[in-house]
Amino acid sequence: MSFDFCCISKRSGPILASVFVVVFCTSTCLQADPKDIDSLLEIVAQAGPQGANSSSVRAASEELTQHGVEILPQLLTAMDVPNIVAANWYRTVYEQIISREFQKSQPEFPVLLLQQITRDSRWQGRTRRLVVRLVEKLAPGYHRSILPTLLDDPEFRSEAVDFVMDRGDKALENGNAQSAKAEFQTALQHAREAGQVTGAADRLKALGVEIDIVTRMGIVTRWYLVGPFDAPGKSGFDRSFSPEQSVDLAASYVGVDGAEIEWNLFATQDRLGQVNLVQAIAPATEAVGYAYAELDSPHEQEVQLRCSADDNLSVWLNGQKILARRQWLNGSRLDRFAAPATFQKGRNRVLVKICQGPQHQNPAVANHWSMQLRFCDETGAGANFESALPVLTE
Amino acid sequence: MSIHTQTGRQVQQVTRPGAEKSDVHRLVLFALVSRFKTVRLKMQRLALIIAALSTSVVAQAENWPGWRGPNRNAVSTESHLPVHWSPDEGVRWSTPLPGAGVSSPIIWDDQIFLTSSDGVKQDDLHIICLARQDGKKHWHQRLWGTSPTRYHATKSGMASPTPVTDGTHVYAFFGTGDLFCLELDGQLVWHRSLASEYGRFENRFSATSSPLLYEDLVLVQCDHYGDSYVVALEKTTGADRWKVDRPDAWLSWSSPRIVPVGDRGVGELLLCGSRKIDALDPRTGTKLWTVGGMQHECIPTPVFGHGLIYAVSGPGGKTISIRPGGRGDVSETHVVWESSRGAPFVPSALLLGDFYYLIDDAGIATCLDARDGSQVWRRRFPGKYTASPIAAGEHLYFSNEEGETIVVRANQKKYERVARNLLGEPIFASPAVSQGNLFIRTSSQLFCIGSGGSTSP
Repeated sequence: MSFDFCCISKRSGPILASVFVVVFCTSTCLQADPKDIDSLLEIVAQAGPQGANSSSVRAASEELTQHGVEILPQLLTAMDVPNIVAANWYRTVYEQIISREFQKSQPEFPVLLLQQITRDSRWQGRTRRLVVRLVEKLAPGYHRSILPTLLDDPEFRSEAVDFVMDRGDKALENGNAQSAKAEFQTALQHAREAGQVTGAADRLKALGVEIDIVTRMGIVTRWYLVGPFDAPGKSGFDRSFSPEQSVDLAASYVGVDGAEIEWNLFATQDRLGQVNLVQAIAPATEAVGYAYAELDSPHEQEVQLRCSADDNLSVWLNGQKILARRQWLNGSRLDRFAAPATFQKGRNRVLVKICQGPQHQNPAVANHWSMQLRFCDETGAGANFESALPVLTE
Repeated sequence: MSIHTQTGRQVQQVTRPGAEKSDVHRLVLFALVSRFKTVRLKMQRLALIIAALSTSVVAQAENWPGWRGPNRNAVSTESHLPVHWSPDEGVRWSTPLPGAGVSSPIIWDDQIFLTSSDGVKQDDLHIICLARQDGKKHWHQRLWGTSPTRYHATKSGMASPTPVTDGTHVYAFFGTGDLFCLELDGQLVWHRSLASEYGRFENRFSATSSPLLYEDLVLVQCDHYGDSYVVALEKTTGADRWKVDRPDAWLSWSSPRIVPVGDRGVGELLLCGSRKIDALDPRTGTKLWTVGGMQHECIPTPVFGHGLIYAVSGPGGKTISIRPGGRGDVSETHVVWESSRGAPFVPSALLLGDFYYLIDDAGIATCLDARDGSQVWRRRFPGKYTASPIAAGEHLYFSNEEGETIVVRANQKKYERVARNLLGEPIFASPAVSQGNLFIRTSSQLFCIGSGGSTSP
């Protein structure tokens, strides 16, 4: 294997360093025997659960550490595995090799390869961040310089969106509203985190542009709700009430204290789809409530369910249970839980069971009962669907 | 010179309480000098032996091997520690630390070990070794964490649990669900990704439970929103010896501890969390007894003395004094006293002599009579408190989030403040004590307080 090395002088400084990035010098004197290296790397790959193979892995790692930056391409490739235990063993080798190289008067690194890794989303995020840090050390400012190209990058998207948002804020400070608007729209287009979506939307609203956050994030806001069903203690999670057998929106049931309960249409006004069941159904303890929605998908699509509830929830999609969390007193937080799911073409039926546990031993602690749910793609962008439930009018 | 700690077979080398290092040193030197005078050995040889002896005496001085010191009670056996200091006075050295961390420094002989974390997700982990004498870096191991959780924005990253050492290895646990074993020279020995093997931690302030060494085991309490458990790993290989699920445990941040039980010689493993305190057989994980009454979220580590366990959880909770050695639910039979005075949410309590000290998060300090829970004194201290107090000699040290340490005279019924020392940087980590010095970790540095010259690396 041959690869391009770049010689970085400690005294050359950031400008020279960045120049060296594009001036390659091929080094052949640092070549190691690839076969030996591969064998050693393979031993390290055997690091596993329960501390398995640690002795042999350690011996192989120590041997690898004797080599120099010439093994970086193989080492980084080997390091790029989901097995974090193996990855950490590789990293101990990496850190020592890098540290030793920097102690030289003229360190040499395969800068071209390193830069390629930083931009290539096929590499694991942690490997790329490790390499970004090295390249940043060689050429200060490199990290920021690549951010505008990483707006759709799975690892760096968030920082890239922040970077663009900052540019918009600065444009606004300089009185350039048009430029700011363009930056905020770019940021919004690529943002996936709720804080960034709402942050960009708020900035655009201040500039006269209304943004539909609900659709953009795939939040379900319209639900039929019924409850509270009586579920003493924490029995609700394992008990099955009538809506789990079939959803009949015209039916009525016996609820807490023998009260007759029925389905009611509810539309949350919370911008992130939080449904406060205490308000929407009734204050309750040791109870169960159900939420039901129908969503129309224009085609079959793989989606991700993201949801949370206080206290806990179970979710069925088209009759199949796709998520159930038993934990109590959880607190509701957007995207807390996730599960893969598939929308069929046409009508999709979503049933959610939300349990409410006993009152906190401190009566001053409010007994929250709530849920929040959305369907999105794996990046967090809203899935393509429309609610089939009627629109509530005042 | 060394004794076994209260934890029975969990042997740690500590200085015998009351034995002054300088006195012992003088006696041994006197004996040696007398002997060598009679045989008329050359002075050069004598000097060499004295030097070697000095080293060995220093090596037997008190180590601070893990969370809350040698006995996990945060009580040092050393007696001549600094009482007054400021950024300009009494600071031997200070060393900048990378990233974030509220874990305490631990000290073994001439080495200090610390942990921290940084990165966008706080999943870039640091294990650092400094020289005790001057704070210079010996080594710095950087590793990845498996699964970072949420964390307190200003107080923590993933490095809240304090590491622990037995003098041959360092065991460092992180909120990412990773436990690392390293040689004292920083070489990785094994890594367990508990988050990969048993599910990612779900935590809103990052896990803080500090691992505990017992015989040939590393004990780790993993209570979180998901599937909670406690696991005992073999020190040499990292493999599970036993693992006990805690399905009824909810989120807690308390650290496990061992207490001796009279005739068994095994000890009991205490786990605070989710409205109760459980005791397990530390060798097998077999459940021994339970006492109810804790808050649903527990943070402080229990203390032990007078043959009693003192467990506290708050806010709005209480201290429960428990006689160990029971079986089953002993809430009605083994609780000696309860007191709802001064229960903190975060800082652990202190037990020294007949006095039991609490500092709550808002700075209300309370001293109770350890025998019956009656109040001895109560004072409002300045600032807010996350760090747990420590005791050494005649003094108690309470460090607040504003960087101030209040020094109070211990073991007396009357409240007496001895000093207020401001370092000027927030303190969230609990201080450590070793060999005449206090080690205080602020939000950005480690300070060595005490005599012995003033240098910075």
